[in-house]
Amino acid sequence: MPGRMKLGLLLGTALTTIGFTTAAPAQEVKQDSKMSVRAAGVTNVTQQLLDNAAKDSNNFLHTNGNYAQTRFYPNKQINTSNVAKLHPAWIFQTEVKESMETSPIVVNGTMFATTSYSHVYAIDAKTGAELWHFKPKLGAITTYCCGPNNRGVAVADDKVFVATLDAKLVALDAKTGNVVWEQKLADPEDGYSETMAPTVVKGKVLIGTNGGEYGIRGFVRAYNAADGKLLWNFDTIPENSVGVWAARDATGRDMHRDIDAEKAQLAKIGDPYKRLGGGVWQNPAVDLATNRIYFVVGNPSPDLDGSLRPGDNLYTDSLVSLDLDTGKYVCHLQYIAHDVWDLDAVSPVVLVDVADKSGNTIPGVIHAGKTGHIYVHDRKDCSLIRFSDAMVAQENMWTLPTKEGARMLPGANGGVEWSPIATNPQAHMAYAINLHQPMTYQVESSPYPGGKLWLGGAFKVIPTEESFGNVTAVDYNTGKIKWQVKTPEPMIGGILATDGGLVFTGEGNGLFKAYDANDGKVLWQFQAGAGVNAPPSSYTVDGKQYIVVGAGGNTQIDFKRGNNIIAFTVD
Amino acid sequence: MLRLATATILLICLGTGARAQSIEEKAEVCGACHGENGIPLEKDIPIIWGQHAGYAYLQLRDFNKGVRHSPRMSPIAEALSKDDMTALAEYFEKKQWPKLPQPAAGGTDAATANRVNASIGCTGCHLDQYRGDGSIPRICDQSHDYLLKTMLDFRTRKRANNPGMSDLMNAASEDELKAMAAYLAGL
Repeated sequence: MPGRMKLGLLLGTALTTIGFTTAAPAQEVKQDSKMSVRAAGVTNVTQQLLDNAAKDSNNFLHTNGNYAQTRFYPNKQINTSNVAKLHPAWIFQTEVKESMETSPIVVNGTMFATTSYSHVYAIDAKTGAELWHFKPKLGAITTYCCGPNNRGVAVADDKVFVATLDAKLVALDAKTGNVVWEQKLADPEDGYSETMAPTVVKGKVLIGTNGGEYGIRGFVRAYNAADGKLLWNFDTIPENSVGVWAARDATGRDMHRDIDAEKAQLAKIGDPYKRLGGGVWQNPAVDLATNRIYFVVGNPSPDLDGSLRPGDNLYTDSLVSLDLDTGKYVCHLQYIAHDVWDLDAVSPVVLVDVADKSGNTIPGVIHAGKTGHIYVHDRKDCSLIRFSDAMVAQENMWTLPTKEGARMLPGANGGVEWSPIATNPQAHMAYAINLHQPMTYQVESSPYPGGKLWLGGAFKVIPTEESFGNVTAVDYNTGKIKWQVKTPEPMIGGILATDGGLVFTGEGNGLFKAYDANDGKVLWQFQAGAGVNAPPSSYTVDGKQYIVVGAGGNTQIDFKRGNNIIAFTVD
Repeated sequence: MLRLATATILLICLGTGARAQSIEEKAEVCGACHGENGIPLEKDIPIIWGQHAGYAYLQLRDFNKGVRHSPRMSPIAEALSKDDMTALAEYFEKKQWPKLPQPAAGGTDAATANRVNASIGCTGCHLDQYRGDGSIPRICDQSHDYLLKTMLDFRTRKRANNPGMSDLMNAASEDELKAMAAYLAGL
C-alpha cells in the first residue's frame, strides 16, 4: 500500500484511540439574507378578500386563483379582440437562473413571486421594481425530485408564507420580507422537502410534502398562521394501507395485480405504511360552505417496485377530503391501487358544479390525471361520476414494468403532470396541458436506502419516438374533448383562463401563447427567451389589466433555463 | 511538508491529550489523498474541493455507517463524529473546484451523452450543466477515471449506497457510460 495511504490509516487509528474531540467550531453564522429596497406598501389580506377571490378582478390572491382553484380570472379587459396587441410592460430578472414553477400572487399592486431554491421576491406589479428579496439559507442536505423548484407563496393578513427546499415553513412580514416565524416540517435526510405553495385559510397554513421517490410517509398539516404551531396532522398513509385489493383502476381497467402474491408478502412483512410514500405536493382546494378541503395524493414508494408494498397502498394516487378544522378523514377515491407506474395524482383539484349521472347540477370536484383523463367526482362523498375521453394516447395500459423495460403510454410524467388546469365554471369547460412522452418502465427491486432515491427501477424516455404536447379543452359534463392543439414540446407548467374568452399557457421552447378559449385558435404569442413552464397569473393596477408569467425553464423535462418574470399589457 | 504537519498533529494529540483541533488541522488528513491544493494524487480519487456539502456529508456518513466501503475512506470516516463530518463537508465546499487537464469530449461522445441524458434524465437531479446542489454531487469536470469507476460500480452494485443510482446506471450500456464519463470530465 503506498505511503500516503498508510499515513491516512495511521491517523485514523490514532484519532480513534486518542478520543478525538471536537472543538466548538468557529462557524459562519447561518442567516437567511434579505435585501430591502423599500418597504412594500402592502394591503392587509383579510379572510374576506381571500374568500371572494373568484370575483376579484384586481388581485390574484391564491396559487390557483381562488379557494376552488378554478384558475378563471374574472376580467374582460384583455380579450379575444385586443390580445393580439399584448406586449411586455416589464421584465424582471431574478438572481436565480433555474427552473421556474411559480404562480405570482398580486395584492393591490404588490407582486410576490418565488424562484428555485425557495427565494421570495416582492415586486412592484406596475413597474417591475424590486421591493424586497428573501433568500433562505438552506441546509446542506436538500432531498428533492425533479428540480429545486418552488411553486409560490400564500398571503394572509400581513404575512407571506413560503415552504422551502430543506423542508421548512416560513412566515415573512409582507412589507419587509423579514422572517416572522420558521417551522421545521421534517428531516431532509429522510427524504422530505417542499416545492409546493402553501394554502392559508382561517388562520391555518395548509402544507403537504414531497418525497414519493424517497420512501417517506406523506402528510397534510395545518399550522397556526400567527405563530407556526402545529394544529393538526393527517397521514396520507394510514396504518392499515391495504384497502380492498382492487383489481381494476377507477376507469375499470385491469391492473394485472398478482393479489395472491401480494397477500403472501403482506403476511411475511406486515403493512408497509411506514415508507409507503404518498406525498401531497400541490395545493388543496377549500370548500368554504362545508368547511372541507380536497387534495390528491402522490405515488407510493418505491415507484416501480410493487413487490415490497403489498396492498392497495392507501391513500396513494387518490382524491382525499378532510375536515378543515380537525384534519379528520371524510372520504376518498383511489384512481390507481398499487401503482407501479408513478402515474400519481398531482394536478390540483378544482371545485366546480358538475352534472351528475342524471344530469342534475351538484357540487363536484374534478382532477386531471397523469393517466390522461379528467375525473369528475361528487363533492359529497368523493364518488366518481365520470371520466373524460383520454387527452393523450394510451397504449398497453397497464403493462407491468419488467427488468428489460416495458413500453407504455402515457409515460411516467403523464398525461397531465403537476400543472394546474384552468376552468370556465359557467361553460363547464376545463383546459389542460398534456405530455406525450413514450417511455419504457424498468423494475429492479432493492431495499429501502435510508432517505436516498428509491424508484425501484428506472423510467426511460424512448429517444427514437416523438415526444410532444397538447393543450386540450374538455367539457367535464360530457367528458368530451371540445378542441385540442398539438405543441412541439411536452407541456408542463400551467394555464390560466379569463373572462375575456382567453386561455394562456407557455411552452418549453419559450413561446407564451394566448388561445381563443372557444376553439383553440392561437391569437397571440411571445418568445420569452427561456421555457415558459409556470402557471400564468393576472391582475389589475390603476385600472389596467396585466398578464404575468415566469419564464425560467424546467429541470424535469430539461427546458432552457432563465430568470425572467414577464408582465404584459395591451397598449 | 505533509509528513511534518501530520507528525505535529499526532504529537500534539499524544502529548496534551484530547485537544480541540481547528477544521484546517482536521482537513489535513484529507489532503493526503485528495490533494493539498485540491488536485487528487491519483486518478481514481475524486476532487472534493468545491463539492456540495450535503453530498460530501452523506458520503462521509455512509462510509462511517459502513453503507459505502473503501479501504482508504472507511477507517478515516469511522473516526468522525456527525459534527466533524458536517464541518469537513462545509469546509471543502468553500474551496475552489480545481481545473484538471481533461480535454473536452469529441462529437460522438457528446452526442451519446446528450442522448443518454434525454433518456434517463441525469440533469433532472444533477441539474443544469451537471453542477449539482445540496445532496446531489457536482459531476462536471470531475476526474474521468473516478467518474467511470463510480458509474460502473453503481451499475454492478459494488457501490451499494444508492440503489436508485444503480437502477439508473443499469438503464444505460457500458459503452454509453464510457461516453458519459468522457463528456462529463471534459465539461
